[in-house]
Amino acid sequence: MKNLYKHATMMLMTTVLALSAFAQEPVPATALANLTEGQGVIASTGSQAWDGISEFVLIPGASLMGASSTTTALYLGFTGGSEADIGNMVLYSTARNGSTVVKVTKVTLGGSSTPSINLTSTSVCPIQPVSVTNPCFVRLDTVKAALSPLDDYYFTVYFTLDTNNEKISGVGQSISPGALSGWSLYGDQTRIGVKGALPTNENSDQPPYFLAYVTNQ
Amino acid sequence: MKTICKLATLTLMIFAVSGYGFSAAKAENLERGIIGPVNSNVSWSGYSAIALVPGAGLIPVTSTTTVFYLGFTAGSQVDITNMVLYTTARGSSTITAVTPVTLGGISNPMIDLASATVCPVIEISTFNPCIVRLDPTKIVLSALSDYYLVVFFTASDSNNNAIGLTAPQFQQSSLRGSYISGNETQLTVGEAIPSSLTFSNQPYCLMYVMNN
Repeated sequence: MKNLYKHATMMLMTTVLALSAFAQEPVPATALANLTEGQGVIASTGSQAWDGISEFVLIPGASLMGASSTTTALYLGFTGGSEADIGNMVLYSTARNGSTVVKVTKVTLGGSSTPSINLTSTSVCPIQPVSVTNPCFVRLDTVKAALSPLDDYYFTVYFTLDTNNEKISGVGQSISPGALSGWSLYGDQTRIGVKGALPTNENSDQPPYFLAYVTNQ
Repeated sequence: MKTICKLATLTLMIFAVSGYGFSAAKAENLERGIIGPVNSNVSWSGYSAIALVPGAGLIPVTSTTTVFYLGFTAGSQVDITNMVLYTTARGSSTITAVTPVTLGGISNPMIDLASATVCPVIEISTFNPCIVRLDPTKIVLSALSDYYLVVFFTASDSNNNAIGLTAPQFQQSSLRGSYISGNETQLTVGEAIPSSLTFSNQPYCLMYVMNN
């Protein structure tokens, strides 16, 4: 028994020494990584009037690329308009290839799920005016949740019924959608509860209008 | 000294137990799988479903095993005669290796789609497809090779006439697929994947290729 204790002490000291040696290495800052393949080409046809319309975007678990992350950052892209007024944003979780909601996560910008995005402000969109050649990407607050390859996710944003949203346009509908696909529906579609069914995607695998990238930060 | 030794032993045991806990492999995609809603393709008795897992589509996730997931949308029982994984050089049709694929340790399983332990949401449908995880195949997929998963559904079998396989609606997966009449799981090294197969569509049945 005494020998066992001695050996254990020695092993522990070895472990501590080894760990402390590794601890001398500088801790690398987390690198920006795509969690799934985002849109590769920016287009201009996301220009329907968006007042009173919701966009659904499927982020498929089957497309996740193995980047380890405890947070998820969603980026919206705009190619026109002066102000985007958002009524609500959520991230629905479903089983892979399923349509039944199993979880609803609030998505925010600046802590609010009903933000107004000033597209004419250089602090929001550094290059003015916003256009197809100078798209404006807005990073939403990071969602404090890791995406799992065993689930699917639907990011849903509702654009308030107002005149500002008649003029906004998104970066999407590109020829290079990556793994993302989206469709739009009238009305606020962000209020579906757990066990509720998502509406049918009638646009098949069309690229999303606004959601451009899904990264770890 | 005795107390220190005791504490050291306890701490070491905690390290060992926590290290063991972290060692379980996290589920990761090895390839971009089937995305979005699925349709149903029925009546598979006597057919082989063949899925191409291209080496060019591999996600650089380290793994010593490969796990295939099959999707079903209709039926009560699936009768499989055999399942194999063919390896070829990238872009080649000549088979360089044949690896058995199993479920519950056998390559000719019967899958009870009416069982809630197999398919948690009953009744299965395109809305709630049943995803069946096969046994981990002890193969490390290489970006230098292509792989063909072949599942032969037993011929002259009324169960298999009633089954529906998942048929993807979206075309965004890296996986491709085809099908052919007859048992194509008996090919050997040096033989070729049938040239009549085009692999221009997403695969029937194979949904995901993961490390776990």
